Amino acid sequence: MAEFDDTSLFQEDDHRVAYMFTAPPITTAATNASPTTTTKSAPGRPAKRRRVSEKDTAAPLPAQEKDDDEGRQWPRLFNGLESPSAADLRKKTYESTWPVLESEIESVLRDANRQTLEEVVEFLNSDVHECEGRGRVPAGFIITGPNIAGQDLLFSQLGDVLAERGEGRGRFVRLRAGEVGNLKGGLKRIVREGMGGQEGGGGEDGRMRGGGRRYLDYDLEALRVEMEGRGGGRVVVAFQDSEAFDTGLVGELVGLFHSWQDRIQFSVLFGIATSVELFQARLLKTTARQLYGAQFDVVQANAVLESVIMAAVAGTKAQLRIGPGLLRKLVRRQQEQVAGVGAFVSSLKYAYMNHFYANPLSALLVDGQKLDKEILQSEHLEAVRMLESFKSHVEQSVEDGRLDHARLLLENDDYLKGRINRQAAKRQQYLGKLLQSLALVIATEHSKRSFVELYEAALDEGISLDQSPGPFDLGDAIKRSTPEELIGLIKRVMTVIVDGNPSLHWNGMGIGQDAEAAIDKFEALRADVERLIETSKKKKTSLKSKYSSQSRVLRTTVVAQKVQLSRDTATLTEEDNAFTAAIDDFFAFFKTLVGCEPLSNLFLNEVWQYDYHLPYEDVFVPRPGATFARALSRPHDYLGCACCDKANGSMVGTLPATSILYHLYSEAGASINVADLWAAYYALVGEDSEIGMDERSALVLFYQGLAEMRAMGFVKQSKKKADHIAKLKWL
Amino acid sequence: MPPKKTTNQKAAARVPRKRPATTDPYEIPEEDEIEPPKRRRHAATAAADTDDATVSTPSASRLKKTVATPIKLNGLNGIDTPSRKNNADRSARRKSARALVDRVISGAISDDEAEEGDIAREIYESSEDEEDEEGEEENLNGETEPTTTPSKFAPGRKRKTTTTRTRKRSPTPPRNLPPHEQYFFQNKPGLSKTSNNTLSSLQLLTHDEYFSLSRDLSSANPHKTDITHLASLHVSSFPQWAFELSQSFSLCLYGYGSKRQIIHKFATYLSSHPPCSLGQANKIVIINGYNPSITIRELLCSVASAVSSPTTTLPGILSYLTTHPKTTLTILLNSVSSPYLRKGSFQSIISTLASHAQVYLCCTTDSPDFALLWDSAVGTNFRFLYHDCTTFCSYSPSEMEVVDSVHELLGRKSRRVGGKEGVAFVLRSLPENAKSLFRLLVGEVLCADEGDGQGQGQGEEISVEYRMVYNKAVEEFICSSEMAFRTLLKEFHDHQIITSHKDALGTELLSLPFGKEELEGILEELTT
Repeated sequence: MAEFDDTSLFQEDDHRVAYMFTAPPITTAATNASPTTTTKSAPGRPAKRRRVSEKDTAAPLPAQEKDDDEGRQWPRLFNGLESPSAADLRKKTYESTWPVLESEIESVLRDANRQTLEEVVEFLNSDVHECEGRGRVPAGFIITGPNIAGQDLLFSQLGDVLAERGEGRGRFVRLRAGEVGNLKGGLKRIVREGMGGQEGGGGEDGRMRGGGRRYLDYDLEALRVEMEGRGGGRVVVAFQDSEAFDTGLVGELVGLFHSWQDRIQFSVLFGIATSVELFQARLLKTTARQLYGAQFDVVQANAVLESVIMAAVAGTKAQLRIGPGLLRKLVRRQQEQVAGVGAFVSSLKYAYMNHFYANPLSALLVDGQKLDKEILQSEHLEAVRMLESFKSHVEQSVEDGRLDHARLLLENDDYLKGRINRQAAKRQQYLGKLLQSLALVIATEHSKRSFVELYEAALDEGISLDQSPGPFDLGDAIKRSTPEELIGLIKRVMTVIVDGNPSLHWNGMGIGQDAEAAIDKFEALRADVERLIETSKKKKTSLKSKYSSQSRVLRTTVVAQKVQLSRDTATLTEEDNAFTAAIDDFFAFFKTLVGCEPLSNLFLNEVWQYDYHLPYEDVFVPRPGATFARALSRPHDYLGCACCDKANGSMVGTLPATSILYHLYSEAGASINVADLWAAYYALVGEDSEIGMDERSALVLFYQGLAEMRAMGFVKQSKKKADHIAKLKWL
Repeated sequence: MPPKKTTNQKAAARVPRKRPATTDPYEIPEEDEIEPPKRRRHAATAAADTDDATVSTPSASRLKKTVATPIKLNGLNGIDTPSRKNNADRSARRKSARALVDRVISGAISDDEAEEGDIAREIYESSEDEEDEEGEEENLNGETEPTTTPSKFAPGRKRKTTTTRTRKRSPTPPRNLPPHEQYFFQNKPGLSKTSNNTLSSLQLLTHDEYFSLSRDLSSANPHKTDITHLASLHVSSFPQWAFELSQSFSLCLYGYGSKRQIIHKFATYLSSHPPCSLGQANKIVIINGYNPSITIRELLCSVASAVSSPTTTLPGILSYLTTHPKTTLTILLNSVSSPYLRKGSFQSIISTLASHAQVYLCCTTDSPDFALLWDSAVGTNFRFLYHDCTTFCSYSPSEMEVVDSVHELLGRKSRRVGGKEGVAFVLRSLPENAKSLFRLLVGEVLCADEGDGQGQGQGEEISVEYRMVYNKAVEEFICSSEMAFRTLLKEFHDHQIITSHKDALGTELLSLPFGKEELEGILEELTT
């Protein structure tokens, strides 16, 4: 009965379009002492009154506080055995890691557009006078590429920048094709936003007030008066997705701007996904003649993505490593679905959220010193011992004969805690080496692969210059370099060692002994090579190494009108040999600087690596068709009921009506006779079957099922034959 | 032909489950064409079939067989054999059958009539013949598995010719086709084989009956506990959802079943356990997208009143929120993919709202095609996380008008006034000449229906020309001017008891959204 009351209370609200949800009293359960209530709450005013009246008796306040606490905290893992402080620690770690990264990404994105913005603003500011002479409308064509999701950010930035520079005089109006259907609508928008966007300016009768007179709300005169009152300035109208606009509308608007050019200074901007040529081909010639344009290119999405990955995924600021598998998947999705960078950032954020929210071991990510031993409880240690990397580490120790170490790890909790505390330092060390290797590999400029590919490969397989063929197969390229190239290479490598790579936030090798030794070594090498160049110059020979290509190729020489083919076996001079030795030396030393293990080899890498596809895929790229099909074809998967257990994807009478109809539907042809459908349905559930439902009840369920099928878009009305419906989905 | 109906229904009950093991529709007409002598073979049987009361049958066993086989299933299937010739044959057959019956009833046979009768009989038998064959063949196919078994047929019969000249036969549709192949297979012209059964024998549900029965049924749902358990699983992920909302993602819950209750519980949860970033002054607005009367203005108004923003425009609300950083708003939107919210402007407004940092959105969707609602710009604004939230809950009456929806699907249109009674009710309140006009209209439509031939089922609406009706109305002094005529029609339009449309030539046509039986009933009521 209580349930019925609840639903009837719902219904009042359910028929409303929108309503404010007022918090139900927490004591509902007490007053309405029915434990079977499926719906705990009853909204609406009467409930509220009740709350006030019972405040003194039921004393719900402590409960409320406790609940609040619960809401603010993350659920405890290990089946609730996790200590609150550990859960809190995870939360704090998340809250301290992600925002850093987020601001980093934001600045990368802002930087990416900065140059374009500068150019556009420059154009709008400078060319005005020139254009005025010709009486044309200045137009900026901004090539944004096919990703319209990125346009929003660009144009909002543009608006901000213009507002900043224009000192409040200029106006920036953004038009989107979806919002502007016709000329009047467009003008209304321009006038309204041009006048400062105050809705209050327009009266009930749709007129604008300006300078004591009233204008129609699509009259540009109103805007002119307003602009004059403000002391001039420009109105910049941006067509955000120009291709989506009706060409005629663009023409008409531009024509109007042109004819008003002597009174209001209009400039237009077009966001173009394809190319200016294609866009111009769509415009009328008269329209094109009224425009005076310049073209601006936005940094392409791929480049932006790469810099985001460098900063936020690979860089030192990233606490959590996105595993190679997931990263590959994310990047591929970026390319295949033309999703904006925003989608990538969201995925990244979700990975962080997932890791800290659902992985109890993420608490171990805190720096070693801070990781209080109290936090670590026996469940943590047990979980650590279940890790794949733990197992392989122990096995490795046994193989190496370090039996004590393995035994202690398995049995001694304190020993394990010590190890766990040390892994933070190890992680830093590993990351340092990884980034150093990557930075150096990039510095050689010999790798043909993009940074993302290199990074993925490094995590996946480790970095090893010997591996050939492989992503880090640089040996040949380095050895074949000419003396000048080698010097350039050495210089670049030294810069990287000293200064690091700013886009990775890697600060170089610092001032340790290693760094000094490396610098000294490279200095010496450079001096050697420079000296060799000098000497060979004096001798007027060209310096080469035995690896350089010239020594191997065939030479064709024309001697006395005869072509001679000769293998160039020019013997290497003393300097050449010295240079070869220098190259070998360089490469050997370079190899010591570059190289790292695959990520998965590291002890406890699960603590700081996230490489799970599953939640990501479901959450960002849902497959609703498959989900619906599964729910309908195998309800047992969801309901776990005893009655439909044996169905196993086939059709039995106990299934929900919609599910039975779905089964029949998937067997039916393109056109379905409802009479037959009903007959078949009734044969399954009707009086002659095991279910034994009477006809009218079966019909009610049949109706419900059919209505649901329709709401889900499976069927529609068909006029071909009486009582027939048409199939709409082939799954 | 009432006796055949019963066999029909039995067959119909079988049809959808069994793969249609029927014959190729195309072979029969050709047989007729090629081998007219064969018709003679069943002459006696056919005659016996039609008027067995008068003519003695030489082969009784044969007769039984023809009755036992579900003749009509294939024989009278207009879609099976879409050739025009065949349809012509059909109606010729019908006419001849009538002629035969008439002749027998009247009992008078003159010489020329006898001759006519012979022709009629011949036409009738020729089609009887083909039905016979189909029936036979179906029997055979029923015995042997539904594979092509032309060899089973009597040797030496015209099989050879037909197998070579007919299109390739496929009694069973190929199994396990990928969806797109299946689409093309099922949409092949001439392949839709559905029976001619209609729901006319079934008393459709009225709203009252539906509601009274559904209330009992929902409490007796055998899956009730399982559904509750499923819901409890969803409830257990509320903390996660709240966390995701607080991280400025929007949620989109999809999957089969009504999610209205989940949303409601989630609202309760959010109000009692607000996540940190949702401030203390978090306002929760629930929007029912399934409500047909939803408008953008109303939506914005309720949002504005929730945050107590002075303006009700979108930019106004957003700037108000920006200036009041402590106010946060959670929008819980039921059925974001409902037909009433599918306009692009709606979605872009919701997405703009959702993209504001202080607005949190959680919406549900009931159809699997929701992803098509959003282009990439709108989608980026939403920042959706999708969760499978299959509930198996049935939809409440507020969410889904089951009876209306089904009747609309069937083309019954009971959303208008309830059939005969409704019309009577409407007409009672109208002046006398309106009644006469409606009577005229019904009569005309029924006449047109008769004239059209009996082949039309209820699926097709019979239309009459506007001009013709007007002329008749003037003749009968129902109205004197077109103006008055229009006014009367307008009244009918308002009550949705007539519909009008224009045909390809631009002629205005009027039609009545009722079945033939209903029309007859209405006419009866009006004339008495």
